[in-house]
Amino acid sequence: MIALLRSRPAACALAIGVACILLFLPLTLSRFGNYMLAMWAVMTIAAMGLNLTLGYAGQVSLAQGAFVGIGAYATAIMTVNGWPLYAPLLLTVALCFAIGWLLGYPALRVQHHYLAFVTLSFATLAYLVFRNEEWLTKGTYGIFGIPRPTLFGVSLKHHLNFYYFSLAWLVICAGLMLWLVNSPWGRAFTALRENPARAQSLGVDTRRYTLMAFAIGSTMGGVAGVLYAPLVEFIDPNPFGLPLSFSLLLMVIVGGSGYFLGPALGALIAVLLPEWLRDYTQGYYLIAYALLVMVLLIYSPSGILGWVERRTADARTRRASLARQAAVPTYDAGSAS
Amino acid sequence: MTLRNLLLPSLSIVAVAAFADLAQAQVKIACVSELSGPGATVGINFRNGANLAIDEINAAGGLLGQKIEMNCADSQTNPGVARGLVQKALDANPYAVLGPVYSGSIKVTAQLTSESGVTNVIGGEAAELTQMGLKTLIRTSFGQQISMPKLAAYMADDLKAKNVAVIWVNNDFGKGGRDGITKELKARGVTISADISTEAAQVDFAADVAKLKQAEVDAVFIYLHEEESARILKEIQKQGIKKPLIGETTLLNQKVIELAGDAANGVRGHVGLTADAPIPSIEAYRHKFMAKYNYVPDHNSMKGYLGIYTIKAGTQKMGKLDPKGLTAALKGLSVKAADEPGMLMDVSIDQNGDLDRIGFLAEVQNGTTVITKTLPALKP
Repeated sequence: MIALLRSRPAACALAIGVACILLFLPLTLSRFGNYMLAMWAVMTIAAMGLNLTLGYAGQVSLAQGAFVGIGAYATAIMTVNGWPLYAPLLLTVALCFAIGWLLGYPALRVQHHYLAFVTLSFATLAYLVFRNEEWLTKGTYGIFGIPRPTLFGVSLKHHLNFYYFSLAWLVICAGLMLWLVNSPWGRAFTALRENPARAQSLGVDTRRYTLMAFAIGSTMGGVAGVLYAPLVEFIDPNPFGLPLSFSLLLMVIVGGSGYFLGPALGALIAVLLPEWLRDYTQGYYLIAYALLVMVLLIYSPSGILGWVERRTADARTRRASLARQAAVPTYDAGSAS
Repeated sequence: MTLRNLLLPSLSIVAVAAFADLAQAQVKIACVSELSGPGATVGINFRNGANLAIDEINAAGGLLGQKIEMNCADSQTNPGVARGLVQKALDANPYAVLGPVYSGSIKVTAQLTSESGVTNVIGGEAAELTQMGLKTLIRTSFGQQISMPKLAAYMADDLKAKNVAVIWVNNDFGKGGRDGITKELKARGVTISADISTEAAQVDFAADVAKLKQAEVDAVFIYLHEEESARILKEIQKQGIKKPLIGETTLLNQKVIELAGDAANGVRGHVGLTADAPIPSIEAYRHKFMAKYNYVPDHNSMKGYLGIYTIKAGTQKMGKLDPKGLTAALKGLSVKAADEPGMLMDVSIDQNGDLDRIGFLAEVQNGTTVITKTLPALKP
């Protein structure tokens, strides 16, 4: 840790600052503020999953909203019937991993916008199941009165408790993701994105890693759904339609696709920015939000972190150029003559 | 311009505003409505009606002498967003919460208002809303459990229909209406010969209407949102179907008539609220609304208007501004329109928050909703 502090003091200071904000800011916020922060944490988990599939492994998916829905419905159905939260959590992990794996098979044959349409079809199919299979999901009437769990004797009914619960899950998922992307698996995912043929020639099993990228990313979406249901305490099919998948895609792209912190920043913009703008632009908040996102993506197509990296690289290049200039011996014309 | 030149006027404005605030205490009503998304037509009308009522009450001296202030937040027709906004509204300790209108949103927000004890005056019509044990809900219109029996009786007894087609939008609103009318028609021995579900925001109804054309039915019950209702009426006209077209309030909505044009003529149904009712207080309301917004009000705007006057009626009964006591004051309350013209019609609120008042059977004739029969309140 000390070595890390010495080698990257600015990054460590930033991490400590962010941790302090996430831990202590909610103590000063209203119930609404904590609800929005918990929603940010939940959406960040879902976007992190999509970032793995899209940002690291380069596989386009428009089905992430459907996996959030699968997790949310599993949780709602089971907890309303008296099951503790870990039961739907385990079921969701197994279910989303299996479905995500199966959804990965088309990615072995089609890519880019063709793959986007395959996953979009799956999202539509999932929505129709949520809506039409009333015996299970209660259809358009939705499931009402989803309980918030009790953890180690502490009820998570209180908004602050539930926020910390969501934050804890975000930390767990982020930790797993950090380990994954820095492991050989993460490098294999990146190789898959950059040049699948070359990755295969180097011995990377592209078929298995493609399926794994879908399966793990989808599982993260499901985990987000497990938290979403008790957060909102009501679910119906509408929140899990295509707009959620597009919104998660926006989070990944705006934050910076393929950057570890991209989803957290993207979720900050997609979840919290509209609410903040609401107080200042009244009825025009969605227009203002859309314009801001458009300007941001025109200015920096690689997202916020892409822009930061570009600026950092530019600064590094400038510093290196100056250093090179300083190092070149100057020719003194007077002394030569 | 120096800093002092900037500061002095700014400070004066702040000071004047602060004193003005002290001089006139305000009653804060929080409004959460569908101002964007699929429910925008509904929510904007609801908000406009509420604002009209607030202007009137404030112009007449306010609520027990205090001005009403209302901010209407946009739920984007999304229950998750609506929940957050109602939470935000409750954090600011409002006197009452108005909205949302969509039943799906209400199911999640009503839980919060119920826990907080703040009265929640809603625009939703789904039958189960007031049967879920949530204590602070008060309706502004009939629930489906009241309107559907009236419609079923009309089709079975007045039209003598034996076979009916039901076309509905597959969401909580449409499904509630479809389940309600199906149950009531079956109880009266009427067969549902065609049960056609459609999508919200559906544009092309050619296939659905073709199915309808093939069905041997005596009447068609249509339960869709405003824009979709207009589109299906145009398609029905195009395909030349001449069966009686029956609906609830939405089908006879002013917006539907505007959008559907000639195709809306002949549509019949039950309307709980209509600005076309030949009642002086409603005619006056229609006139005021048109003067302010320059378009004909629909039933959703009446819900918003009545919502504010309902809060006023409960407050006047209490004689004080007690947010925790408002629900109790409203439950069991009967208000005569003669005493409170803003309530538009005599109304009683039961212990669940459901309403009892007169309803109407109506028909669209030459682009206007004509009331053909006034149905009495269940407990006159």
